[in-house]
Amino acid sequence: MGAPFDIGYVFSFLPKLLDTLGVTLLIVAGSLLTGIVAGFLVALPRMYKIPVLRTLSGVYLSFFRGTPILIQLFLFYYGLPEILKLVGLDLTRAPVMFFVILTYGLHTGAYAAEMIRASVEAVDRGQVEAAYAAGMTPYQAFSRIILPQALGIAVPVFSNLVIALLKDTSLAFTLGVMEMTGKAQTLGTLTQHFIETYIALAFIYLIISFTLEKMLLAAERRLTRHENREDKRESIFRLKKRGSYRTVLADINIGKGGGA
Amino acid sequence: MQLDPSFIWTAFWQLLGAIPTTLSITAVSVLAGFVIGAATAMLRMYRVPVLAQIASAYVTFIRGTPMLTHLLIIYFGLPMIIDGLAEHFGWSFRSVSIPMIGFAYISFSITAGAYMSEVVRAGILAVDRGQVEAAQSVGMTTFQSLRRIVFPQALAAALPNLANSVIGMLHGSTLAFAVSVVDINAKAQIVASTNWKFFEAYLAAALIFWGLTVLIERVAALIEKRVGAYNRGGVV
Repeated sequence: MGAPFDIGYVFSFLPKLLDTLGVTLLIVAGSLLTGIVAGFLVALPRMYKIPVLRTLSGVYLSFFRGTPILIQLFLFYYGLPEILKLVGLDLTRAPVMFFVILTYGLHTGAYAAEMIRASVEAVDRGQVEAAYAAGMTPYQAFSRIILPQALGIAVPVFSNLVIALLKDTSLAFTLGVMEMTGKAQTLGTLTQHFIETYIALAFIYLIISFTLEKMLLAAERRLTRHENREDKRESIFRLKKRGSYRTVLADINIGKGGGA
Repeated sequence: MQLDPSFIWTAFWQLLGAIPTTLSITAVSVLAGFVIGAATAMLRMYRVPVLAQIASAYVTFIRGTPMLTHLLIIYFGLPMIIDGLAEHFGWSFRSVSIPMIGFAYISFSITAGAYMSEVVRAGILAVDRGQVEAAQSVGMTTFQSLRRIVFPQALAAALPNLANSVIGMLHGSTLAFAVSVVDINAKAQIVASTNWKFFEAYLAAALIFWGLTVLIERVAALIEKRVGAYNRGGVV
């Protein structure tokens, strides 16, 4: 199958694949933005226990976490124009990229919502009460007390989320978007050096996720520096000391337990 | 193109036939992945020289790259290696005789192994260190204390993540279309393009996956209750 293995091709394919890195990162950034907005909208009714809306966001979460992203991509790509046609909107000329970012955004939104809810709930209840006792308004209590602490708790989960999203974007080629995986397939077919293209492809993904992880780890250190000032040990020991964090992280960590 | 609600039902029945393929890919990758994961986690936790570093590199690589690339690398790379070895040693076995689904099994097991390794590790770390010390002080060997004390508790702690992994692999099995295995997703593609009813077919596929996921979640919650029984509060 294909031509014999030649390591030289891996290196010559790297710059060609990097040309399409922008498209992959555009999908990641666009979907993250959409996802965080969607996540907030979905998480709020659940946190404040608003009757009907709460049930709706429950269904949203269950659906987007309960079906594969690949199926969701096709479902939105083929289904959305048809549904919107019923209300008189014509989407048939919308670019594919629109559907791709929308689907990944809504998919990420489900995980973002759980991340937001769990991180806010992980902040000690007494902190909020203290804020109210000091005369803060609910908005002040949220922005000054809860948010800074919740951010620190959310970062590890967010890091997993971003990396999972990056890896998921490798499926966008199924709708014909020329991102890195799509480009790799074209290169493979053209040169018959499939294995070399995919090794180069995997290498690029690895470097990007490694960089993202390191950057977010630095952000986490910065955001949680109020904890354990004298105790510089790794997070796993901190979890053992604080029972409540451990159960919280057991609930939300990993989030997506697989490749797709 | 008009929406045809009744076709969703038709497609649903046609897709049911592909469920065993999806489930078998999921089951094989989860089971093999658990074995690989447990071994990898042990190597890393006991800091076995060389092997621990290899295990770390494996986990980092797999978790940092998309599942699709693993499948494609195995699909194109494995035959090359097997045929090369076969020629060198004069075996009669050739890669052509590996069924397509075999590549999915192998590659997804490797993927699942890396994710499972983290699940197992987190589960074992959640067990109190004093439990192991207590086990050894009553005279258990390392193996006995692992089997009788650590694993049952680690399993309970790891269950939510384990369920997540099973769901992740169920959803990941949709990638098998790339090596022409007809799972639910590929079947939906076939049903959709032969009838030119894409939305309806994928809606049916989504419903099946949604149902399967909810089922796995429910079963996991039941098992969690059972396995976590030792950990409940109260006096009785």
